Amino acid sequence: MTTLESEVDLFAPENVADPFAVLDRLRELGPAVHLAQHDFWLLTRYDDVRRAAADWKTFSSAQGVALTPQFNEQLAGSVLATDPPEHDQLRAVLSEKLAPRGLAAIRAQVREYATRLVDELVARGHFDGVTDLAAVYPVNVVADLVGLPQEGRELLHPGADASFAAFGPWGPYVQQHLQILQSYHGWMAAMADRSRLAPGSWGEVVMAAVDDGQLTERAAHSTLGAYMTAGMDTTVNAIGALLQLFAEQPVVWETLKTDPALAGPAFEEILRLESPVQGFWRLTTADTEIDGIRVPAGSRVMLHWAAANRDPRHYPEPGTFDIRRNPLDHLSFGHGVHGCAGQALARLEAKTLIETLLARVERFELSGEVLRRGNPIVRGLQSLPLTAHR
Amino acid sequence: MVIEVDRDRCEGFGFCEQAAPSVFELDENGELHVLVSEVPSADEPAATTAIHLCPVAALHSN
Repeated sequence: MTTLESEVDLFAPENVADPFAVLDRLRELGPAVHLAQHDFWLLTRYDDVRRAAADWKTFSSAQGVALTPQFNEQLAGSVLATDPPEHDQLRAVLSEKLAPRGLAAIRAQVREYATRLVDELVARGHFDGVTDLAAVYPVNVVADLVGLPQEGRELLHPGADASFAAFGPWGPYVQQHLQILQSYHGWMAAMADRSRLAPGSWGEVVMAAVDDGQLTERAAHSTLGAYMTAGMDTTVNAIGALLQLFAEQPVVWETLKTDPALAGPAFEEILRLESPVQGFWRLTTADTEIDGIRVPAGSRVMLHWAAANRDPRHYPEPGTFDIRRNPLDHLSFGHGVHGCAGQALARLEAKTLIETLLARVERFELSGEVLRRGNPIVRGLQSLPLTAHR
Repeated sequence: MVIEVDRDRCEGFGFCEQAAPSVFELDENGELHVLVSEVPSADEPAATTAIHLCPVAALHSN
């Protein structure tokens, strides 16, 4: 059997800025490529990535889903870094709240908040699509649901961004954000004190599970941390990318104005095209084979959601935003046992925001330079100056 | 084709119901019901799509 090797550094700044060209090349090189630079295997084809995500027995999360041992140690025992049955017990604590049936209770609350925020920004006319909207809206929705106090919320988005970066290599981005990472972890640890969590909040549900003996204190902290982090940067960046698209491709906004029912499909398509979380790692528990390529037991394997989402074997013209594609099977939320537990909330947030904007904005226009973040794991914008015309 | 639902995994996302409404139904509590003991052959393509779309891979067929 063959082995495929590449010297490409997937996390070099130029490849983080534009990952898609290098991912296209690696996808065509073979189904599983060993990247010598950081010593891991890369899966890029839709069917392979999906199959590996579903096969948690061979592609285990129990040794962590980050690249480096240091960060995997921090993740140990959390809902992200366990396999069934332990994982299922952790996921069950909040799954009723996060599942679509649980979200019915918060629909009105999310809409009310979206309306308040959008009204204020539209009245202003000029605003930053990222720092004033995309990075504010999900942060406050999630923080309210978890029951966090107002004070310290400004740490949440930068902290989540730095946390995601830490899933990747120990590179300059992580090093530049170490201080934020520390403050964020310190603040979260302080928040696990239930007297600071709002009554009836999701945070309180998690802490109650500790009292019931369903969770250890440590598991409660790591699970809350995982949900807080996961609830930020993903939705923030997907919404940022959507707003950029609305400004740069006015025809998309016009289509939505005519047919608001396309709000859901528009969100799915931007998730497919941008894949805010580029990928996570697994560790193989046995020798395995990816379409003829042997991957030995004990290998770290990256399931590259972004590469899979642009695999032309699965999506024709994968680089094009097609509002009618409605790619509900994209892998931006992962797939299988670890499929994003908060995906229904993300969809609720995005759809509510798009509908709120549709009722108030005639068109968007870029009013300055668009800046991208250099985060190697989460793809998104730093700044998006916009004018919203009424 | 017979549908199997992994009840420990299903969280009621409802993509299956959208893809194959004659086979899957979520009740008002968001609980999933498989409406047929055996999927009629005419509905098999839709049921196959439904299985594929489940975000948590809770659906299987045999």
